[in-house]
Amino acid sequence: MNMITLFKKELRYYLNNPIGYIVLILFATTINFLYMKDVFIIGSVSVQSFFSLIPWIFLVFIPALVMRSLAEEKRLNTIEILFTLPVSKLQIMIAKFLTSFVLVCIGLLLTASVPVTFIFLLHLSVPEILTGYMGCLLVACVFISISLFFSSLTKSQVVSFLFSLVTLFIFLGISSELLSSVLPKVAQDILIYFSPIYHFQNFIKGIIDLRSLYYFISITVLFLFLTLIRLRKRD
Amino acid sequence: MISVTNLTKKFDDKIVLQDISFEAKKGEIVGFLGLNGAGKTTTMRLMLGYLFPTSGMIEINGLSPEKNRLELLSKMGYLPENNPLYPEMKVTEYLDFIASLKHENNRESIMESVGLNDVQNTKIEELSRGYKQRVGLAAALCGNPEILILDEPTSGLDPIEQEKIRSLIKKISSKKTIIFSTHILSEIEEIADKLVIIHRGTVVFDGEKPKKKGAVETLFKRHVKE
Repeated sequence: MNMITLFKKELRYYLNNPIGYIVLILFATTINFLYMKDVFIIGSVSVQSFFSLIPWIFLVFIPALVMRSLAEEKRLNTIEILFTLPVSKLQIMIAKFLTSFVLVCIGLLLTASVPVTFIFLLHLSVPEILTGYMGCLLVACVFISISLFFSSLTKSQVVSFLFSLVTLFIFLGISSELLSSVLPKVAQDILIYFSPIYHFQNFIKGIIDLRSLYYFISITVLFLFLTLIRLRKRD
Repeated sequence: MISVTNLTKKFDDKIVLQDISFEAKKGEIVGFLGLNGAGKTTTMRLMLGYLFPTSGMIEINGLSPEKNRLELLSKMGYLPENNPLYPEMKVTEYLDFIASLKHENNRESIMESVGLNDVQNTKIEELSRGYKQRVGLAAALCGNPEILILDEPTSGLDPIEQEKIRSLIKKISSKKTIIFSTHILSEIEEIADKLVIIHRGTVVFDGEKPKKKGAVETLFKRHVKE
């Protein structure tokens, strides 16, 4: 019950604030613009190329959304209010995580016009598109938990944003061809397994791979656990 | 009833509180007196379980803030130093949020008792310092707490506002244990039943407040020498 109260308060902040709407609209507009640009330049339409764009947009969108979660509470010292109310630190962390997750869901919903067009024009199957969106949500969970962890480390939203951005960029970049050409094959294979892009590929092909599901859940839980340790360290 | 026994708190190697002990009974207003950095806020934060002690024990109504933090916090009200609030929220939104977490159904009467009815739909960032202090006090009163911890509740307020806050504290004190920290000696003289003076992390005086006018100042100067 207390967690729902916290969640509502957090969500109300974004929905009563122009910043929330600006970030959401920018997210949807950027994805639609980048995708439609490719459609017109290359002249081909594919659901894979649409979903492949999303983690790269998340790279900026999610740190921007999550950066204030804990950093701002620390800057204003309202964290002292939260920590002296009858609500556990776990509940505080989950409420913050859920708020960002719901906002990402709204953002993804705003991109739905493109996949809906696929369904009608290209007769793509609905489950394939739903699997793609499921992959997007799993990537979002990983990104939110990493950004939340960095937000718990600092009082500065800018520092939180930059640390999250760089870490997520490295995370995404480890599957890139540039890195592959530099590293030995064994190192490549190990590193690629840790890349969200590698696991996300299965979902955008319409496959729900349990190993990938396990990967996304483990990384999310790991960073949420680190955030909780950080919150409890104030003790 | 609050019982603090041999409490020590270190931050890394720095000793902030050393072996302090005191008690506060139900219905008592305990004036916490000390210079800046004496350890008043740290002691209050330890009572709330916001910080954990290095050694020693705190018992509040028989419960430990370390082991029974959530149970205790539902029975405690706290007004922190500098009164941090959410600036973007309206007064009613903020108090509804606190009231919901503390299961308070009588938010309206609390607002009335601290004089917030005129500004209930105003954003907190637009309020004067006096009104912000009242919002913090109203939040601390939510949930009808048995224990009230007020860290410099009148700091920065004009004399009229200070008097209003003091009257309110006196009015609600009969069924509660109140720990009240301040730099203003006359304030302690006016409302406290008991006095605890902290100096450089140790309790240098713990006892009944002297009745004679001006005696608190004499006592304070005798025990606190820089």
